[in-house]
Amino acid sequence: MKKLIIALLALSFHANAQVPYERLRNAAHERDNWLTYSGTYWSERYSALDQINKDNVDDLKVIWAYQMQPARNAGNGLVETTPIVVDGIMYVTEPPSTVTALDARSGKTLWTWSPNIPDEVKHIGFPRVNRGVAVLDDAVYVGTLDARLVSLDAATGAVRWDVEVGDNHIGFSLTLAPLAIKDKIIVGVSGAEAGVRGYVDAYDSATGELEWRFYTIPAPGDPGSETWQGDAWQTGGGSTWLTGSFDSELDLLYWTVGNPAPDWNGDVRPGDNLYSCSIIALRPDTGELQWHFQFTPHDTHDWDANQIPVLFDAEFNGEDRKIVALANRNAFFYLLDRETGEFLHGNEYSKQTWATGLDENGRPLVIPGSEPTYEGNLVWPSLQGATNWFSPSYNPETGQFFVATRLMGAIYYKSDVEYEEGEPFLGGGEQALSGDNASGAIRALDVMTGEQQWEFMLYSPPWAGVMATAGGVVFGGSNEGNIFALDADTGEPLWDFQSGGAVRTNPISFAVDGKQRIVSTGGSTLYVFGLE
Amino acid sequence: MKRRMIAVLLFVAISMSATAQSPLDGLTEGDLVDGERLFRIHCARCHGIDGAGGEGSNLARPRLKYVSDDDALLGVIGDGIPGTGMPAIWTLDEDQTRRVAGYVRTLGRLEVEEMPGDPIRGQTVYQTNGGCPACHIISGAGKGIGPELTYVGDQRGLDYLRRSLTDPAETQSQTSGYTDYLIVRLRAGDERVEGLRIDEDAFSVIIRDISGTVHSFRKEDLEEYDKVFSHSLMPGYGGALNAQDMDDVVSYLMSLGSEE
Repeated sequence: MKKLIIALLALSFHANAQVPYERLRNAAHERDNWLTYSGTYWSERYSALDQINKDNVDDLKVIWAYQMQPARNAGNGLVETTPIVVDGIMYVTEPPSTVTALDARSGKTLWTWSPNIPDEVKHIGFPRVNRGVAVLDDAVYVGTLDARLVSLDAATGAVRWDVEVGDNHIGFSLTLAPLAIKDKIIVGVSGAEAGVRGYVDAYDSATGELEWRFYTIPAPGDPGSETWQGDAWQTGGGSTWLTGSFDSELDLLYWTVGNPAPDWNGDVRPGDNLYSCSIIALRPDTGELQWHFQFTPHDTHDWDANQIPVLFDAEFNGEDRKIVALANRNAFFYLLDRETGEFLHGNEYSKQTWATGLDENGRPLVIPGSEPTYEGNLVWPSLQGATNWFSPSYNPETGQFFVATRLMGAIYYKSDVEYEEGEPFLGGGEQALSGDNASGAIRALDVMTGEQQWEFMLYSPPWAGVMATAGGVVFGGSNEGNIFALDADTGEPLWDFQSGGAVRTNPISFAVDGKQRIVSTGGSTLYVFGLE
Repeated sequence: MKRRMIAVLLFVAISMSATAQSPLDGLTEGDLVDGERLFRIHCARCHGIDGAGGEGSNLARPRLKYVSDDDALLGVIGDGIPGTGMPAIWTLDEDQTRRVAGYVRTLGRLEVEEMPGDPIRGQTVYQTNGGCPACHIISGAGKGIGPELTYVGDQRGLDYLRRSLTDPAETQSQTSGYTDYLIVRLRAGDERVEGLRIDEDAFSVIIRDISGTVHSFRKEDLEEYDKVFSHSLMPGYGGALNAQDMDDVVSYLMSLGSEE
């Protein structure tokens, strides 16, 4: 009888995935699932599965594929989703803001939900994309292109609640995967190219009620406001458009902040412009700021710091440290103490021509004359950066940090600009060196030193992230449609597949029926690979 | 010497024609100045401050790939181009879109140029002494080794055409920054192939040799692989054609595809 009850419980558990906070907190121990955007709260994007490994990865084949449906409104978009996999069910987003639940075994659709996105939706400075969902308890959470946060029943896709996070008419939008912590759903906003004033929000997961809001651009009198002059803070940008990381023991949420607005004309916003181009550490219960670190003070190149903060513990200069690592769009790799924000280490990991290095506090030593001009000024990296939103990966077993890198310079221009509500607020542009004058690479760094161990060259600057596995393999993708596996020790290619469309997603891994799967996309098709 | 004026810019062509109707008719100089201002705000991020391209395509050309006429240009700005990075620019109202479109048309303005020679005679030189149909197609005739020239008069100016004959390598065109018709040389085992790059990624390369045969390789099988920049398969004609022949061929090319 007891066995029967357990069996029934197991069955119902499988049929209706329940993901309490405790499961998310211990996601690293659930290697068959992929429970958060970056795999775990520490954002390693590392799979402990080793069934697929460097000895057999060249036997990978397509197990199933899912062709995303053209959205019935708001036009086409680009597929940038990271799937979430819970107990045999995969949740993906499709552009612009559709959520679909798939049977992870077969790829068949369980349900799909599409919000009514107005045709005139604003997405200023970025394509119609969505990077994925969060799961918590029996709900799935998605941010929409018109800046709403929606809770869906995980079993059916029925709407539980739907709240406005920002006013899309003035440029707010949501493209990121939310992050579920405790009983809260944390989201950030896009919109700095429209001159919004960015923030991070926390919503009650059960009701959708706003619990707290942290403005990334301080108002006069608030700490950090001394880095702004006049009214520039009101249109100061600092959007928060990429999922953060979380340390449950320190009870600190790490979130990254984008460029100040306007992008390329810094004359109208003198000062360091905190907390733009920074990482901030917040208390997840209150939104209270604990510390901040600014990578690029007074940025004039659109080098948002919206990259994935990767958490790990290690001995640094003889001391045990809790560390956050970040490969920044500005071409420098950083290690910070994640308790205090203290700068520990930084080095150039990709070509740049704007700074001679970093000082002892991690502040860049900017080369005079490297800012955009009316005539144009050639600087590396281009505005898309040495890397961008697509994820790096960290192998905690080997201490390797893998990052997809864009090797591309650009001629940066400045122009005069005036703020107009709901209009682009840019103040310039760029002419990127493209084609034969640009390339990309997957690079492996020693996480403690930032030194490059190897690189695998790509034909063009990539828009896809990487994932390392316990099988000694690093998976990645290219604009040319290649989905590939590299030897984590050497960077040698072990397997590749021509997907037929540009890869713009981060790979993940999961297992169903005891069989490891690798997930990537090409164009609008999602591919699941396995050995059998 | 036969002379003819070529107007390759639709904007100019329309303004000179009593019959053609364009939604861009009636734009003033002030509208175009405002169009430039709006372009810098809305378009320069991808297309470059001068429209010469960046992440987005080069707009400083009289013919744009997705734009058959001025209505289509307004459509592209308002609706975007599905499957490309070109978004719909919803933030512009109808008048603003017209002004931006008008400004985009000025980017593609080529000087109205006088033909230096006789295009009829040039056609004969093209087909005989020049031997050009061995590698180029015009209106369906010829062999497709190099670029098709059916519309080249709309796409290129006099000086460029002349230089493309005398110094083909210096005038190689690019698509999204990649050199078109790039010569590559490779060796895989005993096989040596030289040809034009058709496609490439991190794992493979496809080339077409001078006979038109397509060769597809995995990069891991290549022992040598060289990209030969600043060279063209096309010979320079500076010594092969006399000055009159050169002027006539250039004039013939200028006449191709142009508005009558």
